[in-house]
Amino acid sequence: MPVPSHHRIIEPPTLDHPPFPPNLFAGEVVLVSGGGSGMGLAMANAFAQAGASVAVMGRSLERAEDGAAQLRTWGGRVQALSCDVRDSAVIAAAFDAVEDELGPVSILANNAGANFPVLAENISVNAWNAVTRIAIDGTFLCSSEFARRRIAAGLGGAIVNNSAQYIWTGFPGDAHSAAAKTAQATMTRALARDWSPHGIRVNAVAAGFFPHASSTSGDAAQTIAPLQNMIPAGRTGRIREFGWISALLCSRLCGGMSGQVVMIDGGESLRRSLMNPDFIPPRERGSVWGWQ
Amino acid sequence: MTDWLAGKTVRMFGDASAVASAVAAAGGSFVDDLPADILIHAVAATELPPAHLIDAATWRAALVAGLDDRFFQASAFAKACRESGRGGAVLFVGTPEQDAGSAQAAAAGALGNLTKTLGVEWARDGIRTNTILTRDTGPALGTLAAYLVSDYAAYVTGAVMGVIPSDG
Repeated sequence: MPVPSHHRIIEPPTLDHPPFPPNLFAGEVVLVSGGGSGMGLAMANAFAQAGASVAVMGRSLERAEDGAAQLRTWGGRVQALSCDVRDSAVIAAAFDAVEDELGPVSILANNAGANFPVLAENISVNAWNAVTRIAIDGTFLCSSEFARRRIAAGLGGAIVNNSAQYIWTGFPGDAHSAAAKTAQATMTRALARDWSPHGIRVNAVAAGFFPHASSTSGDAAQTIAPLQNMIPAGRTGRIREFGWISALLCSRLCGGMSGQVVMIDGGESLRRSLMNPDFIPPRERGSVWGWQ
Repeated sequence: MTDWLAGKTVRMFGDASAVASAVAAAGGSFVDDLPADILIHAVAATELPPAHLIDAATWRAALVAGLDDRFFQASAFAKACRESGRGGAVLFVGTPEQDAGSAQAAAAGALGNLTKTLGVEWARDGIRTNTILTRDTGPALGTLAAYLVSDYAAYVTGAVMGVIPSDG
């Protein structure tokens, strides 16, 4: 059902009217894991739009290069590289490569992740390991590599982690990601405490539904049109508003802010009615992430 | 952040100087009456002695300041928004749950879930509701507050957050 016309839907400013000046991140080197597409590319775009040098890395070099090509339209320095964030040696080599080409990484955005609808009993060991270790181990290994380098250099820095709107409620039909994304959020608080004495800030953005070309449902108009009215805000998220708030948390404008998990989901995770349609277990639904 | 709130009117309660400064720097104009585009209720709790030493009047006064007054101001704000055919943004700023004694623990817990409830209940009126609970009084608080009440945070509603690591 379309959103009724008398409901008021608030949109963010357009892409050509970002919330910060074009040079806010001048001199900063930002590394974005999983930055070649989707949410990671949105983060990378926001940093590049405000003057940062940006390195995007992903399992697929080709995808990272595709993302880098988009980032170059902002006019800054860009690098694409391949990296498996579950391998600490590979991560260290990636940081070295970025340092050689762009300079020492001063901001880290952890976005690398994987997700797909599946019943818990059907999650294979490989699938569980892939989803949880990319998000949990990957976030930790990239963050700790970043922190060791910044602490050794006597410099502070900022990290932003891409979490998810279902971290405090669970997500039936998505057990692997539900566990992994909450680990990222709770880890955010612990890392913020550990590295506060070193001037390294760590925050997370818990994102709702931001359709993009590589998301599970894609971003085709006919696919996302039915989703708008299910969200209290009356729409799915615009990818630019996710990118902007992620970058903002890493900026000097938010200097001193750390250990926070900012939910940005249009109220989706808070929907609740005392009376609801009949509960249907995920294994009996037409689609695991559906409602019937 | 020079124009985050350009053209927006702000009804503000409390004397959180970092918030007021950031809102003004972002182009917000303070007003004394409703309707307004933004309501900010930023009142820090007074630290109270252990619960067995608090009388009923002190307890009630803390709940009025930390919860009741916030709700009634927000309710009036939302009503004025609807009547004037506009959306709006509500921001509560206060003291973390465990930082000022039992009354604030109750008030902050209630405020958090009130925030989540109003965020959804008023979503289709185009009215967003968020809360910051923090000990911090510096510029990061101001920036975060100004951003949350701006349209850049149009997809943030029902969110409760702090500023510094120990806020949680």
